[in-house]
Amino acid sequence: MHTTSANTLATAVAPHLFWITSRAAGVAALLLSSLTVCAGLLIGGRVVSGHRAELRVTHEALSLATLAALVIHGLALLGDGYLHPSLGDIALPLISGYRTLWTSIGIVAFWALLVLGLSYYARARIGVQRWRRLHRFAALAWILGLAHSLGEGTDAGQMWFLAMIALVVIPALLLLAARLLDSAPAATAGDTARVARARVAR
Amino acid sequence: MSASARTPEQLDARALARSRREAMRRRARRIRRSVSVLAATLFSIAFLVISVQLASGHDPALLANSAKREAAASAAKSSGASGASGATEETSGDDSGASSGEASTATGEASASSSEASSSAGESSSGASAVTTSQS
Repeated sequence: MHTTSANTLATAVAPHLFWITSRAAGVAALLLSSLTVCAGLLIGGRVVSGHRAELRVTHEALSLATLAALVIHGLALLGDGYLHPSLGDIALPLISGYRTLWTSIGIVAFWALLVLGLSYYARARIGVQRWRRLHRFAALAWILGLAHSLGEGTDAGQMWFLAMIALVVIPALLLLAARLLDSAPAATAGDTARVARARVAR
Repeated sequence: MSASARTPEQLDARALARSRREAMRRRARRIRRSVSVLAATLFSIAFLVISVQLASGHDPALLANSAKREAAASAAKSSGASGASGATEETSGDDSGASSGEASTATGEASASSSEASSSAGESSSGASAVTTSQS
């Protein structure tokens, strides 16, 4: 009984193996990237006061796992028998003829996440303050990835997919909103203090 | 400052710092391992769900494409029927017209599986392009 159903599953899956791998890696990447954003926002936020070191390690490990899943998501498509994309189609925006806009958004999001993520290892060279400012754009890249998955994702209309995403995306969006609201008055206060210092110096 | 010149308090503090560093290193290793397991689990669950969905014939992409094919087939059928009624008087045994009509019917009836699709593609070259399994 079990062998028959396993055989049926294997027969159905075999012709679409690369395609299913790509879809599964895409789903995993979306979930992992959302968790990465949550961990990243918690490091600098006020929600979790302790455990910063653990959060930093978690954030780093999650972002590396996200990048690995994204690489699998793209490379698996190269073996797909229906789309037959070239390396340029999956690596460069506006090249693929298949849903060009959404595909391009996904490609841009991937490169942005890769560069902004790996720049962590060069932050001493970049300058910590400059790197921090740059790293904020990682949240924007994540939003682009989210748009790509909802706009182009095969499973975007599926209940299980939406429920799975909602579990991690909603907390990440709430944390992002909290950070943006929190940083706006802080920036204003910082500007006021800078102006005051400049007046004193004069 | 040599080790012998350090006070017992300083030695204790250094040992404490070393043990704390070790503990943090252990925790970091555990976190990395947990994240790897989490990533593999998420991928496996997604793979399994999509596979089962596909095997049970509920895959969103294949369903959308079969719906498209059915619509195309019904359109072809209706146009073929109107064409055939006009053409009966001219040539009742027009082989090419009949085969293309059959091909489009086969296209509409073809299920989502690629093996069936390729078999119907083999029957008629005109239907081959339409029958090719689409996944997107």
